[in-house]
Parts: sequence; C-alpha cells; structure tokens
Amino acid sequence: MTTTIGITCSDGVVLAADKRASKGFFVGSKAVNKLFMLDDATAVAIAGQMSDAEYLVNLAKAERRLITLRRGYPLSVHESARLISNIVYNGMKSYNPFYVELVVAGVDGEGPHVYTADMSGAITSEPFMASGSGSPLAYGVMEQGFRLGLNLDAGKQLAEQAVRAAMERDPGSGNGVDVLAVRNDAWREVA
Amino acid sequence: MAMEAQGGRMPFFYSPEGRLLQVDYALQAVNRGSTTIGLKTKDFAVLSSHVKPTRNLLEPAEKVFVVDEHVGATGSGYIGDVNSLVDEIRIQAQRHRLVYDIPIDVGSLARHLGQYLHNFTLYTVRPFGASLILAGVDPLGIQLVQIDPSGTTFRGNGFAIGAGSDEALDVLTKGYREDLKLADAIALNTRAIESLNGGGTAIEHGVVTRDTGKFAHQNGGKAPKPSTPKTN
Repeated sequence: MTTTIGITCSDGVVLAADKRASKGFFVGSKAVNKLFMLDDATAVAIAGQMSDAEYLVNLAKAERRLITLRRGYPLSVHESARLISNIVYNGMKSYNPFYVELVVAGVDGEGPHVYTADMSGAITSEPFMASGSGSPLAYGVMEQGFRLGLNLDAGKQLAEQAVRAAMERDPGSGNGVDVLAVRNDAWREVA
Repeated sequence: MAMEAQGGRMPFFYSPEGRLLQVDYALQAVNRGSTTIGLKTKDFAVLSSHVKPTRNLLEPAEKVFVVDEHVGATGSGYIGDVNSLVDEIRIQAQRHRLVYDIPIDVGSLARHLGQYLHNFTLYTVRPFGASLILAGVDPLGIQLVQIDPSGTTFRGNGFAIGAGSDEALDVLTKGYREDLKLADAIALNTRAIESLNGGGTAIEHGVVTRDTGKFAHQNGGKAPKPSTPKTN
C-alpha cells in the first residue's frame, strides 16, 4: 500500500507521501506520518509494514549516530541507503524479512540523492523515485513533469501532484499528502 | 608455595589483607595517565583533559568524547582501555534509544559502565586500566560521575584523575564555588592542570549546559574533513 516519492532538485531533495495506513480493505488510520528524518541532511519515506519500517528507521538512526561519533563525520546518502539495505538483506537471508520498501533521500558533499531500498536488500538510485502500491501511477506523473535542474519549489509541487494522482486511483493511498524538503546546505550544518 | 598461589598464580583472588591486587594495580595504571578533570555546577559541567603532544610530527590523541548528544566522557589510564569503554557506553546509549525512544539518563549509563567494569574484577581477566568521568544532562539536571576500574561510581561537583590528581583536586577544591560561570570553570580546570604540567599545556575541554542540553567540544574537537566515499 502507500505512495511515497523522492525527487532530486537543483537545491535539495523533496520527499512526499500519502497519509493512509491500510488494514486489508479497511482504512486503519487516516493520519499516518510516513516521512522520517535520520538527521538534518538525510530522510526516509516508508512503505509496507509500518512496524517493520519504523523499527528499521530507529535501528538505522542508532547505527548512524554510532558511526558518526566513532569516525567524526556523518554518513553520505549512499552509505545510509547501503546501511539500511544491509540490515534488510540480513533479515531476508535469515527468513525474518522486513516487509518494507523505502525511499532514502538526502544531501551530502556530492549534492542531493534519492535511493530506493526494497525488502530484498537491493538499492537503486535515479533522479526521482517512487515506492508503494501507488508508485506506478506516481511515476507516470513524474515522467511527464520532471526535468533536470528543477528547483525545490517546483519539486515540491511535482511531488504533491504525483502523490495526489496516485491517491485518485490507488485504493491503498489517500487521506492527504505530506511533503518534506532537505536543502543542500543542510549537509554543512551536519558535517 | 602459599606465596606463589597468592601473588603469582591466582592474582585475581583476595590478598591476605583482603585486597584485590589486580584492581589495585589497575588504579595505579590510572594514576599514571594524564591529568583529567570534571567539574559541575547546577547549570553546566566541564570535562578537561591534559593532551600529551610529545612530538612535533605527532597528532595529539582525542581525550574528550561525545557519548550521545547529551553526554560526554573523558578518561585517564591506558588510552586503548579508555576508547573501548567509551565505545561500550556509546552503544549502550543507542540501545537505550532503541528500546525506550528517549536519550539515556546519566545514572543508567554510569550504572551500566560500573557493572561492565565490575565483571572484569571477578574472573581471570585483566581489569580495565582506566577511569572515566561522565558529564551530561537528563531530567534530573546536570550530572557528573566518576567510574573506577573496580566498578565504583562517585557522584559530585568535582573530580580529578590521573597523574597529580591529588594536587589538581586541591586546586579545584580551593577555587570551586557553586555560582561559578562557565568561563571561570574552564579557567579553573586549566589552572589545575597547568599547576602540574606548566603553562602552555595542550588541554581539551568538553562542555554540557542545561540551556543547550548538548555536550560539545569546547575547542571544536578534531573531526576530519567530511568527504563522500565513491562506491558503485
């Protein structure tokens, strides 16, 4: 269920998600937050089993804090995505899979990045990505509306538009849109 | 034969005087370490440690550590032992966040470290040759704790460990007032360490205040320049 989206822009990244939590054919909650900050420069959008996803986010936060303290500087977006995918991969291989599909987005020394990590532990990166049951619909909108060098304001608009389009036709998504933006200069405050 | 059993083969047993010799020796190892100080008032706590930059080409070692956002630590004794103890409590701080969703309180952190150290006094292993001083904020206010190799924890307003700690503690005791300002406290710690090692000594400070709720290096610490490793 769910629709989540990440878009890289010229001056940062945008994450967006709907607010519905499904319990089978029932709307379990109409006010769920699916966007989480790992720190001021990195964020994730969660889809799938909420308990698995929230636990994974907390685990990733703890691991990142430890690594940052030990080596003295924070993780890049790629490192964060790989950290999460390794946890998920270990789960899958030990027959305790995390039922999740995450969008990991953030900024680092190299600029803005968007990754998706699925429950098999694979990560892929593209300028814009979507996950969850509404993602095919959201991709349709983004393929039309996205261009390289989009600024944050335009990115936010496109992200909301794509989630709203998915909410129209995907019964697993609905009840409103959350949008979160991370600016490029956030990395300098974290590092 | 009896002598050998006491002093040589079973050093982790009590001596006839009722002492644990290995633990006593560990405390002596701490007293050979660099001078390290913790000071607190109700508004802040300062950790200060003498850094020994003995050679021109040598980068001075890190002596004040961020344990979690709100807690810091410094130590004296074998640096390897200090580092591994700091890592142990860093992990415990994150475990606490995972289980309870809130930052760990300093008392729980000190108790965990005390139990961890105590375990090494029971069996045929070497106790850690390091004492730590923790400083942090929690719902009970500013906290300052010293933990020794035996696992003993002390709470108080001022601690000194390492070489010349008695003299340093004298300077602290004479100069301490409850309404000390942060700058005065740092100056007092500096004075205590310099009274032993002479002026111009390299000293690393870490500060936690009730206002910010954060522990931070006073002189910027020594974090390397951030860079993104290229992968894939």
